[in-house]
Amino acid sequence: MKCYRCGAELTEREYCPNCGAGVKVYKRIMSLSNRYYNEGLERAEIRDLSGAIESLHQSLKLNKSNIQARNLLGLVYYECGEVVAALSEWVISKNLKPEDNAADDYMDLVRNDPSRLETFNQTIKKYNIALNHCHQDRLDMAVIQLKKVLSMNPGFIRAHLLLALLYLNNGNYAKAKTEAQKSLKLDTGNVMAKRYLKEAESMMLPSDAKSSEEKENTNNDVVRYQSGNETIIQPVRTNVFTRSGSIWGIVLGVVLGVAAAYYLILPARIQSMNASFREQISAISEESDSKSAKIGEYEQQIASLNTELEGLREEVGSYKETENTGSAQGDLMAAVSTYLNNPEDMDTIETQMNGIDFNNMDGGASKQFDDLYNAFMVLVGEELSKRSYNTGYEAYRSGDYETAISSFSKAFQYDSTNVDALYNLGNAYYESGDTDNAKVVYDQVVNDFSDTKSAGSAETKLAEINNASD
Amino acid sequence: MINFENELKKFRPSLEIEDAEEIIYNQDLDDMADVLVGLLKDAKAEENSHQTRIR
Repeated sequence: MKCYRCGAELTEREYCPNCGAGVKVYKRIMSLSNRYYNEGLERAEIRDLSGAIESLHQSLKLNKSNIQARNLLGLVYYECGEVVAALSEWVISKNLKPEDNAADDYMDLVRNDPSRLETFNQTIKKYNIALNHCHQDRLDMAVIQLKKVLSMNPGFIRAHLLLALLYLNNGNYAKAKTEAQKSLKLDTGNVMAKRYLKEAESMMLPSDAKSSEEKENTNNDVVRYQSGNETIIQPVRTNVFTRSGSIWGIVLGVVLGVAAAYYLILPARIQSMNASFREQISAISEESDSKSAKIGEYEQQIASLNTELEGLREEVGSYKETENTGSAQGDLMAAVSTYLNNPEDMDTIETQMNGIDFNNMDGGASKQFDDLYNAFMVLVGEELSKRSYNTGYEAYRSGDYETAISSFSKAFQYDSTNVDALYNLGNAYYESGDTDNAKVVYDQVVNDFSDTKSAGSAETKLAEINNASD
Repeated sequence: MINFENELKKFRPSLEIEDAEEIIYNQDLDDMADVLVGLLKDAKAEENSHQTRIR
């Protein structure tokens, strides 16, 4: 304890050891302050918050620097839902004793949860709005607002009390009693809550007081009205049917609804759906028929087109054959023309004559063509045969039997007396593995040129082939 | 029987956070010790004036 005049630490004596001021009364005041603080603490411990607030206020009136009393007062305010009052006490406490003060921890708790602080502030604002509604006689609005407040902060005692008062005013005593009881649960020494509870209980029927569950039902079954100074409470005549009339009505409504749906709505709906499905099916079948007809038509068109295509192919084939014949005639005419212009130009004549192939001519060559060809061969056949023979021989020696066969055939075609060309044609067939054609050619050599050396060689070859086949 | 109007007058608006600063500044913090010191000062001043009048 410090001296009120100089701030020096006091001893057990009744004067200040520093300035000599008398401190007997001062010490008594400090003692009283502490006594009130203890009383406030005891009351707070049994949740007599109103009593605790009163005692702590007394303590602080005696000694404003009683930090513990001030901090406890803040806590009690906080518990009542009066957050701003709580913060005020803690701020003053912190101002009076900056170091080692529990108010720091309390304020940190509030500061570290800003959403909770915002919720508290919202509840306070809504409470004030509700109070304003009350003053302006908008009591229903006030009740709604207070319910919101209590849903956000169920520990807000003043909101419980105001709601209890509103319920008392509109005759809803059971709810008023509930609110008063909630207030008393939060603050056991709240005089206002006790008064409201007493008022609510006095206005309720004896049966109401017995059971809180049955309160609302009973309250609905009586008629209250004021007659002079007396309150008349008259029970309403009820029976089983009127009591549970609403339930019966709901059950009957459901049954009728189901029956109407089953007998009236469902058949019509099913019929309309069936009609709709039938229409859809007929539309789909019509579409299907038309598509089938189109498919048949297309198939006929394809068949006729195929037939037409075959005819065209045959026509094209005949054109090709005619072209070959025409081409052979053209080549022969060109070769004759070249010869007439320059008989020495055998290279050009050979090239032009290479295009003539008797095997590709449709229906064989015409008589005029044969005559011209034979007459021309008398003039150039021997020379062309030599050239083709030489070409075939080179190919034969190099193993190119296909070219050799072609060239030896040409050589024998140009000059039918060229037995060497025919014999080597057989050899080329033989070497290429085509023994059938080789035998035909060798037979031709033996039969047509029997008195030549090649005929003997051909016979030997034929014997080899026959021996190999045996 | 509770009178609604009279009861309603007992309810005061709750303090909002925006008003906290003003509430703290305007709070009367004088305690009994301050009153006592004031009394002593007054008594001393009265004694001084009385002695001055005697002289």
